[in-house]
Amino acid sequence: MKKLDIRLLRMIKHSKGQFISVVVIVAVALLIYMLFNVTSINIRSAVDNYYALTNLNDIHIQLVKIPKGALSELLTIEGVKTVQGRVSFDVPLQVENKDERVNIRLISIPPDEEKINILYRLSGKRAKLGIDNAFLLEQFAKARNIGPGDKLSPKINGRVHELSVSGIAASSEFIYLMENEQAIMPVPEKFGVAFVSEEFAQSVSGYGGSYNELLVIVEDESKMDDVIDRLEKKLDKYGVKRMIERKDQLSHNVLIQKMDGVEKMATILPVMFLSVGAIIISIMLSRIVQNDRMAIGVLKALGYSNLSIMSHYTKYVLAIGMIGSFIGITGGLLLAGPFSQLFAVYFNIPLIRIGIYYGFIISALILTSVFCILSGLIGARSVLRIMPADSMRPEAPKSGKRILLERIVFLWRRVAFSWKMVIRNIMRNKRRFAFLVLGLALAYAINTVPLFEAEAFTDIFELQFGQYQKMDYTIEFSRPMNKQVIKDLSHLIDASIMEPELKFPFELKNGWREKTTGVIGLPRSTRLYEFRNSQDVKVTLPEKGFFITEALSKTLQVKKGDRITIKNFVPGKDDIVITVSDVIKQYLGANAYMDIEAMQELLADQQMITGVSMKSQDEVKEKLKDVYNISAVNSVADMKNSFMEYLDTMYVAIVFYLVFGGILGFAIIYNATIIGIAERNMEFASLRVMGFDKKDIFRMVNRENFVMTFIAILVGMPIGLGMINGIINAFSTDIITFPKIIAPSIFINAAAATIFFVVIAQLAARRKIYTMNFIDALKSRIS
Amino acid sequence: MQQVLMKVENVSKSYQMGEVSVNALQNADFELYEGEFVVILGPSGSGKSTLLNIMGGMDLPTEGRILVKDEEITGYNDRKLTAYRREKVGFVFQFYNLMANLTARENVELATEICKGALNIDDVMAEVGLGDRKDYFPSQMSGGEQQRVAIARAVAKNPLLLLCDEPTGALDFQTGILILELLHKINKTFNKTVVIITHNMAIGDMGDRVIKMRSGKIVEIKVNQNPIPPERIEW
Repeated sequence: MKKLDIRLLRMIKHSKGQFISVVVIVAVALLIYMLFNVTSINIRSAVDNYYALTNLNDIHIQLVKIPKGALSELLTIEGVKTVQGRVSFDVPLQVENKDERVNIRLISIPPDEEKINILYRLSGKRAKLGIDNAFLLEQFAKARNIGPGDKLSPKINGRVHELSVSGIAASSEFIYLMENEQAIMPVPEKFGVAFVSEEFAQSVSGYGGSYNELLVIVEDESKMDDVIDRLEKKLDKYGVKRMIERKDQLSHNVLIQKMDGVEKMATILPVMFLSVGAIIISIMLSRIVQNDRMAIGVLKALGYSNLSIMSHYTKYVLAIGMIGSFIGITGGLLLAGPFSQLFAVYFNIPLIRIGIYYGFIISALILTSVFCILSGLIGARSVLRIMPADSMRPEAPKSGKRILLERIVFLWRRVAFSWKMVIRNIMRNKRRFAFLVLGLALAYAINTVPLFEAEAFTDIFELQFGQYQKMDYTIEFSRPMNKQVIKDLSHLIDASIMEPELKFPFELKNGWREKTTGVIGLPRSTRLYEFRNSQDVKVTLPEKGFFITEALSKTLQVKKGDRITIKNFVPGKDDIVITVSDVIKQYLGANAYMDIEAMQELLADQQMITGVSMKSQDEVKEKLKDVYNISAVNSVADMKNSFMEYLDTMYVAIVFYLVFGGILGFAIIYNATIIGIAERNMEFASLRVMGFDKKDIFRMVNRENFVMTFIAILVGMPIGLGMINGIINAFSTDIITFPKIIAPSIFINAAAATIFFVVIAQLAARRKIYTMNFIDALKSRIS
Repeated sequence: MQQVLMKVENVSKSYQMGEVSVNALQNADFELYEGEFVVILGPSGSGKSTLLNIMGGMDLPTEGRILVKDEEITGYNDRKLTAYRREKVGFVFQFYNLMANLTARENVELATEICKGALNIDDVMAEVGLGDRKDYFPSQMSGGEQQRVAIARAVAKNPLLLLCDEPTGALDFQTGILILELLHKINKTFNKTVVIITHNMAIGDMGDRVIKMRSGKIVEIKVNQNPIPPERIEW
């Protein structure tokens, strides 16, 4: 081995603490990069495979009723490849605990083999569906611990039927199982899907010989819009309620959003880590070069070229990069398998092929090399300036200058001597100080993100169900009713407030932008809903016109005062053009709201309602359990409970982030301290000789670091705010809009976390001061 | 007639220190012969280190030129100067300047592995009297031993010229004499041209020639008809 390389290895051994701390940063960056990217690719390809294998529909159409015979006609439509009809309806399921309300969606599958949305049968592969059995969706079966041979008791139109479970199946249509767009997260023990025979479904639902849903596969996905137009025209007479393209399909949509989020993180976090790593490396290296001034002079005198000396130091960084990327990439690849499996289990994707994606290894290596070599060259560039002859002489002391603060004499006089030293030291190398502050500020900002998320999720729930929606229960009817039923209900239930609701999904259009969403009609004097516009001003529903949520206004690109079209599927009713009276806040789901009377007149029928919301302390669920025509009783308290359970999983992510931020903060402070000590060896030694003890010196270094931390936290606040705003924009979806409520506690807690790691780093660095041999330092002349 | 190894022709060096220009060296003009032992004598600040650095290709003169075997080195670019230092010159410094994290032997190898025609390291180490301390680190050695390593490092690459900057400056008298003896022996056994700069007048007695400097100027070049062996020097 070359002697310079031996020297390098011993140099690394000598400064292993610093070396390891930077290696860890690089390793973590690449681990995240590999892990997140590979997992995302694995999941995406597994999902694509799953879709292909089960032939997931391109378009899902909900309509009032279409006779079986009409389907062959649809096949003649240009661009339509396959069509499959089915009956689908949600009914309550009777379970042991009478207080528990469980809904199940019964979906018919064709008597012969299904061509679209083929079930992935996990058990009971050979079983045939008749009028008394069903296949049960995996997630629901697991959550409720139901297995083959068990009985299901759905209550359909007031009558309890008995179905035996013949097998468990997974469905690519329900990878992410949510009841509807208003659901915040899957609650698999409360909502399930059972697949039944067409014969059974049609006979119990009154859809004899016809369907209420169609699944369509198109010839060419790029011509989707044309096919949809043609289908719409053809199906108009059957009362199309919704046409859902695959991209808007609930499960698919959530899945893609989650993957997008993972991929965003896979880029943002590693780049931040590597940037901080690069800052530390370049400072560390320029310090080493400074320290090695004389050695460099000797090397030059011995005839070593600038290039070979530069590469000697750049190799140090390369070693960091190589070891870090080896650990990071290997770790990422090793963990990507289990991590992908974990995701697959979470999302119920039955097939997963774990791939090694060499492309990511290469891009990870390129990413690391660019960061390392750049920081290495920046750090080692002063090698060029060292003249062999000069370097033999001790370096002239840095020119001490008065700092700005000293000019303000009366202030400066009040500063204690030890603080004067601290302040001067900071000012001595302003650029480095600025870099360190920036790095630490990034570490701090990383800490604010998870804290914001935790805060935001709680806020979302409390605002949505405390302030904006004040009901305790919402009741959905299984079919539209006359508003007179409210009177019947109020006899049954003791409720302080009971209001009618009319809710239908409509397609809203603004130019080419369109979105199907639930439009909700409410009494204008509603006491259960509170609307607040973007300026947080309370607004009431207008007589004409309607409100849309912020998420919807973003999707449709409309603002207050714009006019949009509501496409009406109700036969005999025309499409209407309506003014957006205001854009309102809503954090969960995206809806439009209008006056119930106007809605009845324009879009539905007089007196028609589809549900009721109420404020009540009564035993609502118990009392309504045997009532006809009620498809769902939703309790806000139940939602809150399952939401809280969901939040628990969030805390894992928060800890994860805090540790990330912590690693960065630790590495920065540890390295800065070690470098500072090495640099001022002589100075500290002189102080020791003058009678300062170890503690005094440690305290001085401490003070400098805390001044740095304090400034970094100040600088980090706007950075954190920027990152939080980025999160709000990037991760707000139709389902969840993050509120822009940024509590001061976020910043305080993030600061506490940062300070915690700073203290740990200080303690780790303290040993260096305590073991410093000041006599040696004073006469140190060998490099 | 002795062969000329180096011609120093009218070499001057001035530094710009802020607004004043300092003339560190003015019109130095002399020749070095192959195999001779030259002592450059002068008080600190007399310009002797500047002269040595320029002769060793570590610094460039502001005026004048230096020819090594009829080749002008003062016109060299950085790459050629590096090659000159690598192949032709061996340096010995006052403070030894060894690499702290390399052993004695490795320090020597550091120099030899980049040049052609290096001598056998073990022979050289034995010659400087460190045959049995080759695997020690500088911190485990005395000053005299460290300086021996430095000399071995300079000699092992088999240079044309050995330039020593106050080689005894940091050593006690006894050790200093031993180092001078070693340099003397190298001069005689390997027939190397050795240039020592020092402020110690006594050392001048052992040189074949003594170049005296003061305030950046050469004030006298004296030929010693009978140089005395180093062991008889005293100060």
